[in-house]
Formats: sequence, structure tokens, C-alpha cells
Amino acid sequence: MSIRARIRDGDTEAFEQLFDEFARSVYGHAFRLTGNWSTAEDVTSLTFLEAWRLRHRIDANDGSLRPWLLGIATNVARNTRRAARRYDDALTRMPRSEEVPDLADEVAGRIDDAERLAAIRRVYGRLRRQEQEVFALVVGAGLGYAEAAEALGISVGTVRSRLSRARRKLEKFAAEREPPRPSRQVRGDRATAVRFTREGYR
Amino acid sequence: MNAGEREELARLLPFQVEPELPRDRHRHLKEFVMTEIHQDARPARPKRRLLRPAVLAPVLAAAAAVAIAAPLALGAGEAYAISKKDDGTIHITINEAKNPEELQAALRGMGLNAVVDYIPTGKRCSPQPRSQSFLSKEEAPLVVWPSQEEGFTIDPKVVKDGQTAVLEFSVSEKPDLQVAGIWAGVSTGPVADCELVDSTEAPLGPPRGN
Repeated sequence: MSIRARIRDGDTEAFEQLFDEFARSVYGHAFRLTGNWSTAEDVTSLTFLEAWRLRHRIDANDGSLRPWLLGIATNVARNTRRAARRYDDALTRMPRSEEVPDLADEVAGRIDDAERLAAIRRVYGRLRRQEQEVFALVVGAGLGYAEAAEALGISVGTVRSRLSRARRKLEKFAAEREPPRPSRQVRGDRATAVRFTREGYR
Repeated sequence: MNAGEREELARLLPFQVEPELPRDRHRHLKEFVMTEIHQDARPARPKRRLLRPAVLAPVLAAAAAVAIAAPLALGAGEAYAISKKDDGTIHITINEAKNPEELQAALRGMGLNAVVDYIPTGKRCSPQPRSQSFLSKEEAPLVVWPSQEEGFTIDPKVVKDGQTAVLEFSVSEKPDLQVAGIWAGVSTGPVADCELVDSTEAPLGPPRGN
């Protein structure tokens, strides 16, 4: 029995495998959308709770569940508050990462990372939300057009046109980009803890 | 889309800056999600408000084990240290798990209407929630993460006139003082005193399930 079918049937072990396989992807996507490490954790948890609730919608094809999960994550990130209300009761039990992060191995580049991240977020913030979402799915998470369309429940043509609009804007911004201002605005996000990694395209 | 196009887009917005979900957080989130799901998967369970301490305990134990990130040396002088930063935030380090009222008084001296409690291992405050009118984390982001240094940073600006900052620190003294975590909330109404009671639940913050 495929993992899709097992999850649809309520197999918690299969769901645990799903978590192990895709939590990182979901977290990365959530971080790209929200720019905040702590919110990204909330979005990650809520995404999997939503995925469990919506498991009966998993169809019987044999594709990866990653686009489906990233689509849920996109919706959750878009309206974290609404999603959080559904799981209000559960969230009070969520283990908060309110420990002091262990940054020992990351201290060196932290300010550079923070500034660079802030500069990227400024540009990203100028895109419309729908463009941000498509961009994050296709360029950030490496989904194909069809997968991004599946994730967002829109047509491939719409993915294409949103992406090309995003691209035109980014080219325009690049032409007028000001040098990044020094910024110490790292409060409340994990700008200091980012690593320069790229998710493998799958 | 081919790889070339993607690369070109990625150059326009160098999106590769990405945090990894630290392994311990992955584990915590998974334990949390799976605990919730197992509960949901057992439809015969009456109501989730009945807590399952036995199920939660391992999660919490793991959380506690990892959360202790700032072991602070004993005998460093004052029982606590606070400093006000240029941006108006207040940095707190706790050196001894005693006399939270002194820290509370010091914060009040800085103009922050605060209530401070230290919660030893195996305890939590009663009653919880200690206020019927806590603002959400989004409305009043009192704790600043990550703190730039050892200890905890709070932003007093989010506490408006007539509101109270409620700070709970989980502490353990064996073998060394360890300050495992902070819970901070802003209440717009009265705040109940914290009476420490035995607990197998998470030590800090509002209760589970109601």
C-alpha cells in the first residue's frame, strides 16, 4: 500500500514518515513566506495538523505529497491566525522554542546574514502576495509549474503569468536597487541563525 | 521551467538564504504533531481537555533537556542582571533562582509594570491562565528572539499603560542553576498571583486545553 493510501486511511506511522521526509521542506517554504523562524515553526506544525485533517483529500495517484504539503503550508502562512484558531487548543501544548538558540557555530556571519536577509526581504516584500507564493514554490522550493499549480489550486497558466509578473518586477527593482542599508533589525526572527543552504530541487 | 530559467530568477532574488530546522526542533515539532494526531486517531477518547500527562511527559522531558541552553554560573554576584539597550529593550540574565520579587522590583523601577515568577522543575503556577485577558503574541510580542546574548530580551514598549507584563522563568538548580525558558505575556486585566503546584505539564504559561 502506498504511503498516500496509508495516510488517507489514517495510518499514523505513515504520517510520521511524511513528517520526517518533508518537515524541512515545509519549514523552508514557511520561512521564505514569513521571514520569521518562529512563525515558520508554527506554520510547520499547523501544516501537518491540517494535512492530517485533510488526509481524505489525498487522491490515489502516485506522485509525491510534497506539492500538496507546500500548498497547505502556503494557505496556513497566508492566514496563520485563522489556522491557529482551529488548533487553538492544541497550540497551547506546542513546545515553544523559547530557549536561547545555540548560535555558537553561527555567530561569525550573523550580522552579514541578517543584513543580507533584510535586503532580500525588502525586495520580496514588494511583490504581491500571490507572486510571492508562486516565486517561493517554484524558485525557492523548486517545484515545477504543474506542481506549483497543484499546490495552489490554480492553473498552470496562472502560475506562469504570476511568475513572469514577478520576474518583470524583480528586474525593475534590480535596476533601481539601492545598496542595502546596514540594519540591526533582527528582532524576533532568526536572521541570526540562517545558514546559507539551498534546498535540493526534487 | 528549466534549470537555467530558475537560476536566473534565483539571481534576481537570491532566495537561497534559508534556515534549517534544527534537529531538536524537528523532533519537538514532530512529537507535538504526532501526539495531537494520535489523540485524534483515537475517536473513542472523550475530550482532549483530559490531558494525557503520560503521553506528554516524554515530550516535555525532551523539551526541558534541550531547552536548557543557558547554564549560568553560580556565584556570579547578583541574583540577576538587567540592562536597558539602546533600542529600548531590556536584557535579563538570572544567576540565582531566588527572589524573583527583586527582579520584579528592578523591572518596575525601569518603568515596566511586571510580574515575575520563577518556576522550578516539576511545578507550575496556579491558577493558569493567570489572566483572562492576555494579548496574543502577535498583538504584544514581548519577548525578543533571538536574544543577542545569553539570557532573555524583552521589549517593554509593547506593554501599554494599565497593562501588565507577566514573566515566568523555568529554573532548575540541579546540578547547576539552569534557566530553561521564559514565557512572557501581556495582560490587559488583573493578574493572579502564582501559587506553585506540582505538575507534570509544561511548566510555563497558560494551561493546556482550556
